Amino acid sequence: MAEDLVLDTAIRDWVLIPLSVVMVLIGILRYFVSKLMRSTPTPDAKMVKEGQVVIRARNLKVGANFIPPKSFRARRFYFSNEENGLLHVPKGEAQNPQAAMFSDPNMAMDMMKKNLSMIIPQTLTFAWVNFFFSGFVAAKIPFPLTQRFRSMLQNGIDLSTVDVSYVSSRSWYFLNLFGLRGLFSLILGDENAIDDTQRMMQMGGFGFDASKSLGAEKDGLDIIQHEWALPRFEQRAESVLRKLVK
Amino acid sequence: MGSSEKRSKDIMSDIPTFSAENLQNNLKVIQNSRTFLSIIAGVLAGIIGFNGLIGFVFYFVVMLITSVGLMAKAGFSADLYFDSWNRVLFDGFLGGLMSFVLFWTFAYDLVHIF
Repeated sequence: MAEDLVLDTAIRDWVLIPLSVVMVLIGILRYFVSKLMRSTPTPDAKMVKEGQVVIRARNLKVGANFIPPKSFRARRFYFSNEENGLLHVPKGEAQNPQAAMFSDPNMAMDMMKKNLSMIIPQTLTFAWVNFFFSGFVAAKIPFPLTQRFRSMLQNGIDLSTVDVSYVSSRSWYFLNLFGLRGLFSLILGDENAIDDTQRMMQMGGFGFDASKSLGAEKDGLDIIQHEWALPRFEQRAESVLRKLVK
Repeated sequence: MGSSEKRSKDIMSDIPTFSAENLQNNLKVIQNSRTFLSIIAGVLAGIIGFNGLIGFVFYFVVMLITSVGLMAKAGFSADLYFDSWNRVLFDGFLGGLMSFVLFWTFAYDLVHIF
């Protein structure tokens, strides 16, 4: 029969609350450090041009039904022409993304920065939790759990008689790791202050194959079923007017 | 919430007239609302002292109330702001569960355990 433990208030003051506060502050610190370490890449003119072409093709695809059929065919031809269309990539010019990745040291540097900014804080925090809070029963989970959770939730506590809902500080660390993501998205916002062009360039930074992307847009344009919406506007206006007359 | 320029109805319903940026912003509003209210629900459940299954029922009740609130915010005309009703009613329903559990445990322990 597992007994209910009486947890000391000092554990709340010196284990639970400091651990939670440190987790929040480390998340904020990591956000700002990664923001400072972000290097603005020198935009490659060719890649910017290709990104803009893809965006324009997408805009044409979205607004296809609001222009007359003749206008749409002219624009599609302008993009998709097999000889000199904007989305056409001559055979020999398709660049090899892996070769580009190897030849540019900035890409490797950016990748390494991202990996380090993810791994180093977690390793340091886990070591800190282990050093200062090892062996504490830190919290009680307010719903029952089976014995199979013991090895996960009471990691660091080697007592078989303690109820499974009591968790160690190490488990509290992991619970914070997963649970604080929502809080961070609220207080830090999202990093989507980047405009479309930079987003395309970020895609291009990791093996972006221009010929594949342009080819995909070209295929998408080719299969669009154009149906001009404007005449139906007139029908709708007529029906609205008839309804008003009644 | 940013409204679409045109109302999509009747013969217009098969043509998408939503602005992608406005739609994205509307979805972000939904996600932020659900995350915020899941945290609030966690703190409330902990303070009240809900245990076991009642806590999770409380979470789903709060999510349903959030859905009703978002529908009211949209003026009960979801087609003006979103491409389907499911966006308002069910998008992100389970997304805040981990935050709920964390804040539930935290508040429950502070109030009832120590």
